[in-house]
Amino acid sequence: MSSRLAACLAALLLIAACATAKPTSAPPASGRSRDLVVLLPDEHGKTGAILVSGAGGERLLTKPREAVEVAGDAPPGDPFSMPEREVIALVGPALKALPKPPAQFILYFRHNSAELTDASRAQLPSVYRTIRERAPVDISVVGHTDTVGERQYNHRLSLQRARAVAALLAAKGVEPSILDVTSHGKDNPLIPTGDQVPEPRNRRVEVTVR
Amino acid sequence: MRRASWIAVLLAGLSWAAPVPFAAAGETIGIVRNSTGKASITRDSQAFPAPAGTKLFAGDTLSTGPDGSMGAILRDNSTISLGPSSTLVIGDFLFAPAEGKLRLLVRISRGTMSYLSGLIGKFAPESARFETPVASIGIRGTRFAVKVDE
Repeated sequence: MSSRLAACLAALLLIAACATAKPTSAPPASGRSRDLVVLLPDEHGKTGAILVSGAGGERLLTKPREAVEVAGDAPPGDPFSMPEREVIALVGPALKALPKPPAQFILYFRHNSAELTDASRAQLPSVYRTIRERAPVDISVVGHTDTVGERQYNHRLSLQRARAVAALLAAKGVEPSILDVTSHGKDNPLIPTGDQVPEPRNRRVEVTVR
Repeated sequence: MRRASWIAVLLAGLSWAAPVPFAAAGETIGIVRNSTGKASITRDSQAFPAPAGTKLFAGDTLSTGPDGSMGAILRDNSTISLGPSSTLVIGDFLFAPAEGKLRLLVRISRGTMSYLSGLIGKFAPESARFETPVASIGIRGTRFAVKVDE
């Protein structure tokens, strides 16, 4: 018996601007110090939601470019829609400085082995290239297994897989101190299955290049 | 308006390839991806420049000058950035999904920031919080699809 949870997030982007600038579309607010928070869609156009709390009140923002002002001595004001050009005028430099999300690679392994599949071995050059292009970087190497076998055994196997990939990266000159090597055993399958189910897509190491 | 005090960068001549000058407790929580102009990190009351590649630790204060900006990626794959004349503290960051320990607390005291949520926002949105001097911001509205095997 297993229960599983597939979570799908509409990623969100938020900005807290401790307001020196005064957005013209904002409703008038009293008080000296006003902070402004605006919710933005991510690069795929998805918008999440944020809850903004101030003295004695809170506002839920759910729409693209929905904004709210908060003064120190009052509940948050009414949410309002902020024109894109005002968003840019207010927080353009911060948005421009927001890094690209990390690059992620999934490398697959043979059954019950710390040996890469041929297809994944062929993918290694593009991993090296990405590391070089993005350098300096911070890298996570996380090993996984399918659900066949005991939990503890799989934890060891997934760690061997992660270490095998880390060794390949180190052999290509990647500084070991920027490699964070961990293992999740069979606890974090990419493809949810019941226990004791062979699934090649779960025999993997995920390499995240930040 | 709060008068922001810009922390002087005392080690401006230091090569970034040199080891971080101060021993940091705990684990790396992220890395600076880009910075322009004056951009610094304050750790254990000491400020040093923060070029691309600088490792981040919980408790670090990130600051930019009037011509500065900085962008970083945290270990949960979230991204965070500061505009000019900005200061924020990554007060708390814990990303140990295997142990179910996920936490993020950012306090911004001046300027502008932007943030794109990562895995903490996905797995434990209620564990992420942002504070300004007058407001607190939480992540909500994660969409879930749940399927329970019989």
